[in-house]
Amino acid sequence: MERHEVVVVGAGLAGQRAALAAVQAGRDVALVSKLHPLRSHSGAAQGGINAALGKEDSVETHIYDTVKGSDYLGDQDAIEFFCQEAGPTVVEMEHFGTIFSRGEDGSLARRAFGGAGFPRTIYAADRTGLALLQGLWERLGTERFTLYEEWDLTELVVRDGRVHGIVAFDRKSGAFEEIAGKSVVLATGPFGRVYGRTTNAHSCTGDGVAAAYDVGAFLKDMEFVQFHPTALLESGILITEGARGEGGILKNRTGERFMSRYAPHVLELASRDVVSRAIVTEVAEGRGFPGPYGSYVHLELMHLGKEKVESRLQEIVDFCRNFAGIDPVTEPIPVYPGQHYMMGGIGTNKRGETNIRGLYAAGEAACVSIHGANRLGGNSLLETLVFGKQAGIAAAEYAATAPAPEMHAADLDAAVAPLRAWSSRTDGEDPSALRTEMQATMEQYVGIYRNEADLLEGLKRIRAIKARFDRVRVVDQSKVYNVNLTDALEVGHMLELAETIVVGAYARTESRGAHARTDYPKRDDARWMRHTLAQKTPQGPSLSYAPVTYTRWEPKERVY
Amino acid sequence: MAEETVSAKFEVYRYDPATDAAPRYQEYTLDLAPHTPVLTALLRIRAEVDPTLTLRYSCRSAICGSCAMRVNSKSRLACETQVGPELARNGRIVVEPMRNQPVLRDLVVDQEPFWRQYDAIDPHLILDPRHPMPEGKETAMTPAQVERFHETPRCIACAACFSACPAVEADVGFPGPMALAKLYRFVVDPRDTATQDRLLRIQPAGLWTCLRCHLCTEACPKDVRPSERIRDLKEMAIRAQGATENGSRHAVGFKENIRERGLLQESKLVRQTSGVAGLVSQLGQGVRIYRKKPEVLKSPHRIEGLDEVEKIYAALDREEDTS
Repeated sequence: MERHEVVVVGAGLAGQRAALAAVQAGRDVALVSKLHPLRSHSGAAQGGINAALGKEDSVETHIYDTVKGSDYLGDQDAIEFFCQEAGPTVVEMEHFGTIFSRGEDGSLARRAFGGAGFPRTIYAADRTGLALLQGLWERLGTERFTLYEEWDLTELVVRDGRVHGIVAFDRKSGAFEEIAGKSVVLATGPFGRVYGRTTNAHSCTGDGVAAAYDVGAFLKDMEFVQFHPTALLESGILITEGARGEGGILKNRTGERFMSRYAPHVLELASRDVVSRAIVTEVAEGRGFPGPYGSYVHLELMHLGKEKVESRLQEIVDFCRNFAGIDPVTEPIPVYPGQHYMMGGIGTNKRGETNIRGLYAAGEAACVSIHGANRLGGNSLLETLVFGKQAGIAAAEYAATAPAPEMHAADLDAAVAPLRAWSSRTDGEDPSALRTEMQATMEQYVGIYRNEADLLEGLKRIRAIKARFDRVRVVDQSKVYNVNLTDALEVGHMLELAETIVVGAYARTESRGAHARTDYPKRDDARWMRHTLAQKTPQGPSLSYAPVTYTRWEPKERVY
Repeated sequence: MAEETVSAKFEVYRYDPATDAAPRYQEYTLDLAPHTPVLTALLRIRAEVDPTLTLRYSCRSAICGSCAMRVNSKSRLACETQVGPELARNGRIVVEPMRNQPVLRDLVVDQEPFWRQYDAIDPHLILDPRHPMPEGKETAMTPAQVERFHETPRCIACAACFSACPAVEADVGFPGPMALAKLYRFVVDPRDTATQDRLLRIQPAGLWTCLRCHLCTEACPKDVRPSERIRDLKEMAIRAQGATENGSRHAVGFKENIRERGLLQESKLVRQTSGVAGLVSQLGQGVRIYRKKPEVLKSPHRIEGLDEVEKIYAALDREEDTS
């Protein structure tokens, strides 16, 4: 058994920032991740990080834009704190070593992003996530902590309402270990792979979120799933909002710049949910381009000129050329919305605390909530750093006074027994097949536009797949780097989370932010201005609701 | 976007050191559109044919650096290597693990040697407490200063360069292209205060082991151009400290030879590079060369038009002074 004071699971931006805060507080920290930290999905974020640093801009405007963007489901006290921390956070990352793009005067360059009143998004070309990940990893590398690289989380150990550590296995050796900790921070990122077309990496399977759900943590607002308007058609690879911020335009098959009908003032820079629904509507009404991977619309950059496209949107040019065989300097890019961000996650307050003592969460795995029903571009990188730090501070404080964790041999046995059963079957369900069916089900029945009949059908199907998962089989018998075992573990996690998404979406009989019900097209503040909380029971998720925290902003209709 | 498929034959390296006496190559044939990435094909094999095929992968969009492997002998990312051009080039697609890192299983290598070299260059800003960063404010950095990083911030640590590098293969102490490009990134960073110290340490740490073959630059999926940054480091290191190693003395001697006579003076160059002891140690080889080419021991003549050579050197000196 390994022992530490604070165990951080997930080593993207949120996990690393939590680890740094806990180390700085003097705690013995373990950082556990199924990927080398520099391979984390945070590195895929392209566009930028918001901070109201411009003279014409203000923290107040950033708060207002975030509240409005959330469709009034964000907790305003948390949003105020979040936006106040933005400037210091970005400056701190610059001091840590992040290489940002600069203006002529040497200050941090800023660009316009959807849903924002001013150009507020600080960036590093179109690889801002990578730049931040490098800067933070370099900084964290100067501190002492223990890295568990390429370890898979299988279970949280919770007894008497308190966390005692985790069970995980080392991919390299296949060995299962208990890692005891007085507190645990979950920063395992999103679970976008519950959907078929997603901008998320293959590794975004919600392992920490599922583990927390399994031990009784509340999952909050799981039905709010953001679809990015511009995913590359076939692969789902993200084409950053920065492409539209730099002047890219959307056109349908008739050559019309259709956003003028949906958001006449801000056009392509309307909030993501608005643009995604516009594209889906265009295609549904027959104005998309047909193709073997489904119908799509065009994102045009050609009018920006070769020099601007190649210098400001370098990664996008590479993506198009290497993954779609398209040159965006001379040709339109075929795009369609793809799952992009999970507003929902492990319910926390702004200190990262969950309803379980000693258990904290941060980043996309968590739901504070600052994004409410819809996240604004440039706010997620900021969230990882602001709340990663808070969770690290809180977990370190708790660990400083908490009694030693108690781990029993039985904990390890209980965690490992089902996995051994998967491997000892001679017949059973193939995890890849279950994953494909789950993804298709979510795509078809729990997508951008939702209705009661679809959601009921989706729920029935997800539960049927879940039942089959009980007989999942791991064919690979090797102990070394057994990705087949990881496949099964991940699909099991995702099925639990998929169920909470469908159940939450079915119950919420209104449309708000990213949750669009065609049978309930209006926002219903009287009934639904509240957070969904899902808790695990043997029968499936049990729902309850919690109020949204308001400070100064009265709900208004959200128009762009 | 009409889709024609081609029949793609894969030969994939398979090896589990725990159970297999030796590696083997397994064949798979799939019908694929020509622009299908090799990673997509391998994941199809895992999902549809053989779930035991083991590889490392995550983002599938060339940003996480997980899926570097050798495709038809070239170290590259499987996710951005399309099957069509590989089939056109080689008729089949041979997929193997990276080099210079031990195989853990199938296509997965143990990257410890790669990360060890990364850690060894002190990959973080070294700050001087006497010159703190501006309080509550970013460090001013002009676009021109940002340009000095060249493409090094694009590095995704995939290790394709490390796999392709023959100097890494020959000398386990050689930092390798990625670590050196990373070092360059810190050397040119206006925030870093250890520039001189970094440059003083790098010559004895193996900078001159680089063979200038540029295979790293060819392998790099993000156009980081490690070999060009290594060249920059060599120049900066000599300027900081003079020539302290055989490699740098050779470079400096080469330059002086040409300046003096417009030709290499080979026996002199050996002495300049390795000193008298080096000259003695290479005596045997010198004798063999002398038997074939007795003129090597004579000082060569000055070439005609040496004044033109001098003009070139003068121009280079002026450029160096202004940079």
